Amino acid sequence: MAKKLMKGNEAIGEAAICAGATNYFAYPITPQSEVAEYLSRRLPEVGGVFVQAESEVAVGYMLFGAASTGKRVFTTSSSPGISLMQEALSYMAGAHLPVVLVNIMRGGPGLGGILPAQSDYFQATKGGGHGDYHIIVLAPSSVQEAVDLMILAFDLADKYRTPVMLIGDGMIGQMMESVEFPEQYQTPPSPKEWALTGAVGRKPVVIKSLFLDPIALEKNSLELAKKYEIIKADEVRYELYKVNDKNKLLIFAYGTMARICQTAIDELEEEGIGVGLFRPISLFPFPQKEIYREVIKPNIKALLTVEMSVGQMIEDIERCIVGQKPLGFYGRTGGIVPSPDEVKAAVKKQLGLGK
Amino acid sequence: MNYLGVGFKYPSILTSIVAIVGGFGSGKTEVAVNLTRFLALSEKIPIAIADLDLVNPYFRSREAIAEMEGLGVRVIAPRGGNFYADLPILLPEIRGAIEKREGRLILDVGGDVQGSRALGTLSDAFVSDKYELLMVLNSRRPFTSDVADCLKTMSRIEITAQLKFTGIIANSHMIDETTPEILIEGYRLASSVAEILELPLVFLSAKREILEKMDLLQFKCPVLPLVRSMLKPWERGIASPAACRSSKDEQVRRMTKRTND
Repeated sequence: MAKKLMKGNEAIGEAAICAGATNYFAYPITPQSEVAEYLSRRLPEVGGVFVQAESEVAVGYMLFGAASTGKRVFTTSSSPGISLMQEALSYMAGAHLPVVLVNIMRGGPGLGGILPAQSDYFQATKGGGHGDYHIIVLAPSSVQEAVDLMILAFDLADKYRTPVMLIGDGMIGQMMESVEFPEQYQTPPSPKEWALTGAVGRKPVVIKSLFLDPIALEKNSLELAKKYEIIKADEVRYELYKVNDKNKLLIFAYGTMARICQTAIDELEEEGIGVGLFRPISLFPFPQKEIYREVIKPNIKALLTVEMSVGQMIEDIERCIVGQKPLGFYGRTGGIVPSPDEVKAAVKKQLGLGK
Repeated sequence: MNYLGVGFKYPSILTSIVAIVGGFGSGKTEVAVNLTRFLALSEKIPIAIADLDLVNPYFRSREAIAEMEGLGVRVIAPRGGNFYADLPILLPEIRGAIEKREGRLILDVGGDVQGSRALGTLSDAFVSDKYELLMVLNSRRPFTSDVADCLKTMSRIEITAQLKFTGIIANSHMIDETTPEILIEGYRLASSVAEILELPLVFLSAKREILEKMDLLQFKCPVLPLVRSMLKPWERGIASPAACRSSKDEQVRRMTKRTND
C-alpha cells in the first residue's frame, strides 16, 4: 500500500478499522476531535458504528456494554474526557473486558489548555479509577508507531481481556507524518466464549465487577494480579537510541518528548558529549529490569528524565534505578514543549559541564 | 548561478485578496506563509496575512507571526490567551481588511468544509474579479487523492464558502519524504482538476530542496519554492530568529537577482 500523509488523529482512526474495530463511542475534545471527524466519514464505509455520546461518562458505559458482546470497541479522548471515564475504566478492568482507549493528552489539571502535555502519566499507569487494577499503557513517538501500537492494543486487549490505553501528547494527534497500513485489514474476531451473545443452547454468562462475597472479590483481584504479572514478564517494550559503552549520560523520555531529546543528543554528539536515550514504549508494564541493566553500566555517570510535566515518569525511574546513579529532571508543562536547546542545557548541567 | 536553473516563472498575483483553502495536510498554511513572504520581499505595497483557521488547533499561520512581522507584514490573528484557543474567533479586522482592499491580503482559510464556513460568513465582502480563491491540492492526502475526490471536496467547500474557486495550487508533499515523483503525480492531478473545472493552475509549490533536483520546465505553470516554517519541536529550520534573518537576506538577494535578470 502506498504511503499516505496523515494527521496522527486520522491515522489512529484508520488503524482501529485496520484492527477490525468498527464500534466507536466518543465525545469530541481538542486536540483529538479529528479522530471522530475522520471516523464519522470512514466508519459507514466499512459497516461500522460511531455513536457520539452525550458525555464521556456515557462513553465509558457504552464501551462496557459493547465490549461485553466480544466485539472490538474503542474510544478516543483527551485528558479531561479521560478523567470522566475513570469510573467505567475501573469497572471494565474489574470485569476483565477488552477495550481500547486513546488519550491525546493536553495540559491540566482541570480544564487546563489545549496544547500538548504528558501530565496524565500517573492517571494512566497508576489507575485513575479505584481498586486493585492496572491497564496496559502504550506510548507512541511517531504517527507510524501510533498506527502500529493501535493495532497491537486491540490484540493485547483480547489476549489479556483488559483495557489498553494508547497515550500520546497533543503533538501525536495533531502532527502530520507519512504512514503505511498493513495490506491485510483484519476481520472483526468471532464471538468469544465469555461474551454475551444470547444464551441459546448454552449456560448464561455474567459479566460484572460486583462481588459482595469478600472471598469472591479477593479471588477476582488475585486473578487480575496474576494477569499483570504475566503482562509484566511478556509485554515490556522500549527503544534505545545511541546507547553505547562510551556515553556518560542516559536520558529517559517517552512519546514525542523522546524525539526532541534525539535532536539534542545528535547535536551534543557533534560537541563531543556522548548521550544515550532510553525510550519506554510500554509505560505499563514499565521496563524496570531493562532500565536497571542500562543504568548500572560503568560508563554511565548521570541520568536525566525529560517530560512534558513537572515530573511523573521520574517516580518510576527512581523505583527502577534504586539510587544507583544521580538522577536529574527537566520538564515543562502547561502545553509548553521543551526545546532541544533546553534539553542540551539540562544535560550539560547534569554532567557538571559549563554553566 | 541561479539556484533553481532558468526558465521557470514565479507566481504572479494580481488581485488584492488571495484566499488559500485546503484540508489539513494540504500544506495550505505553509503555502500561505511562503506566498506572503514572497510577496513581502518582491512587492512594495502593504502586505497582510489573516488567520481564518478556526479548525486546526496546532501548526497554524499564527505560529509564524514573529517572522512575518519581521518582514513588515501585518498579521491579523488573535493575541494573548486567545492565540491558543480552539474557539471560532473571527476577528472583525478581517472583514475590514477584505472590504478595504489595500495592498495584498492573504487569507489562510482553515482546513476543509468546516474551516471554509468562516469564509462563508465573510463572502458578501468579496467583490468578484477582485479576489482569488485558490484550492491547495495534495495528492497524498485522503479526500484529495484522485480527481473525483478533489471535485467532491472542492464542491463541498464552494457550497459552505459561498464563493467560487478561481484557481488551483499543486502542493503534493509528504513533508520530509517528498520525492520528485510525488511532485509530478500531484502536478498531473492538479492539471486534470484544473482542466475539468476550466480553472488556471496558478502555481506549483514545493520545498526548494526538491525543486533543485528537478527540471522545472516540465511544469507548464509558475513555481513557488517553499521554505518550511511550520516545524515540529524536534526539527531545526528557519524557526530561530537568526536563521530567519539569514533566510530573508538570501531571499532578498535572489529577488534582486531576478529583477536584474
